[in-house]
Amino acid sequence: MSDEAMIVDRGYRTYDGPRSGVVGAVRSVAWHSMRSVLGIGRPARHKILPVMAVLIAYLPALVFVGIAVLLPVDLVGKGVIPSYADYTGFIGLVIVLFCGLVAPEVLVGDRRNGMFGLYLSTPLRRDTYLVAKILAVMATLMMVTLGPPLLLLIAYTFEGSGPGGVGNWLVLLVRIVASGVVISAVFAVVSLAAASLTDRRAFASVGVILVLLGSNVVMGALIVKAGVSSTLGVLDLLGMPFELVQRIYGQPGGFPKMSVLLVAGANAAWATLGGVVIWYRYRRLAINP
Amino acid sequence: MMHAVTVIATRGLTVQFGAERALDELDVTIPSGVTGLVGANGAGKTTLMSIVLGLRPPTSGSIEVLGMDPRSQGHLIRAFVGYAPERNLLPGDMRAVDFVRHLSEVRGLPRDEARNRASDSLWLVGLGEERFRAIGSLSTGQRQRVKLAQAIAADPRLVLLDEPTDGLDPVQRDEMLALIRQINDEFGIDVVLSSHVLEEVERVCDSIVALDAGRLVASGPLQDLIAGDEGIEVELVDIADRPGSIDQVVAALSARGLSIARDGSVITVVGPDADAVADATRDAVADAGARLGRMSSRRRTLEDLFMEGS
Repeated sequence: MSDEAMIVDRGYRTYDGPRSGVVGAVRSVAWHSMRSVLGIGRPARHKILPVMAVLIAYLPALVFVGIAVLLPVDLVGKGVIPSYADYTGFIGLVIVLFCGLVAPEVLVGDRRNGMFGLYLSTPLRRDTYLVAKILAVMATLMMVTLGPPLLLLIAYTFEGSGPGGVGNWLVLLVRIVASGVVISAVFAVVSLAAASLTDRRAFASVGVILVLLGSNVVMGALIVKAGVSSTLGVLDLLGMPFELVQRIYGQPGGFPKMSVLLVAGANAAWATLGGVVIWYRYRRLAINP
Repeated sequence: MMHAVTVIATRGLTVQFGAERALDELDVTIPSGVTGLVGANGAGKTTLMSIVLGLRPPTSGSIEVLGMDPRSQGHLIRAFVGYAPERNLLPGDMRAVDFVRHLSEVRGLPRDEARNRASDSLWLVGLGEERFRAIGSLSTGQRQRVKLAQAIAADPRLVLLDEPTDGLDPVQRDEMLALIRQINDEFGIDVVLSSHVLEEVERVCDSIVALDAGRLVASGPLQDLIAGDEGIEVELVDIADRPGSIDQVVAALSARGLSIARDGSVITVVGPDADAVADATRDAVADAGARLGRMSSRRRTLEDLFMEGS
């Protein structure tokens, strides 16, 4: 044993160091919620669905990269391989299912297992708690909305079919990031709003999927089959975020008659409405104490 | 931050829920140490704790917690206050150590510090070996300990424990009460223990705040409240050739300025000195010619306090 070696009785002791306050609390809850929804630190059965969803979201990207490598022709955006703008729509169903998995897991669990009340005994308040939860869902959704297009960009770049020139490359990168963040934010708030209305996780999952897919199907039927104005597409909760992605890439999208401002406004309105629903629900939620 | 001599102070604290008054003009000073917040369900204990944590504003009156105002500095107070809820609902699939670590981080501790202190706290409450088990697999007693561990892990100045012995068997209850005493005696953490079990409050608390239907029944150091007077309980037998002898005993003791409570043939005599009370009672019984069935010393309890105050 060296001269410096000693036995330290750690035991319980005081802590006089810095405390991270509300910002640290928000960060910690968001990080913990992300880990929880992905099944990290939880039994294996909690990992199956999120891992499957993420794999399915990335699978097309990997296949497209493989095709691009094997076929010496620029197929990107030529109808064979989806463009960057089309990719999120291409995996739209996976994103919807992921929303149905993530939002209820992040929100409903805390109300059922007493964590919500415990969180409010920390520096968090109801509003900062909800900010943490929205950030958690956003960050988790970005794994499937932002990750695959980024993977495509990097892989295509190495393969030699990426955008020409540093300037174009950076513009595309900004569009990919902006699209991923925006679509994640809108889907996060809308799906959390749907999940906030019930204490049953399964009902919440079904509710989130129904809200997103239902509005898309109904609006699609009204516009395409009944011939109502395509402006009513602003009520399409699934279509509007994907439409905004198209506009970010400078594409006309599925509602070419709508202005960019209207599309952006519709997304902002849905996000705001979702936020109001969540706040209304949580403002009234009884806690102990 | 220095330890405040006064941990919580309220002045005219009132909370009104519609027509119901949950707290009524409460003037309370809670000093350092272990304080019992006692009262039946609906007495206002949980409402008071909500206000202490800054989760609910009072309708009127003022409150200071650790020298801060919960209405404007609630988030600061909650960084220095640990709370263990009454409800036994905890995330069952989380490991105990992850649960405690996470809440320590949320209360502001850096990640490494939170991890170390989570383990230390779980060792302290006797769950060192079980800290990596899922909370759902722990017994009720162990879950109560997990709740205590998360309340103290972030080194709070004050912990609020809501019915911490709920669901525990007598042995577990004794251990929990010993732990509560230990965290104050050894680590200087002030404790407010909310409970409806008066006997355990008497065992572990330095002072009490007793509430009934939102009103203050009594508050202050426990010894001052329950040990001021000493008394005896006497069971007398009314015999045929001495009718009214019990009345005579009661009258004689009352004349000596002692406090008398009568329930049939059982009288409780309370005075400042137990020996003097016993001597006076013996003399009064002998003078009246009453027959003594039973005589036992009786200490004033929190229950007496409640009966008098209600």
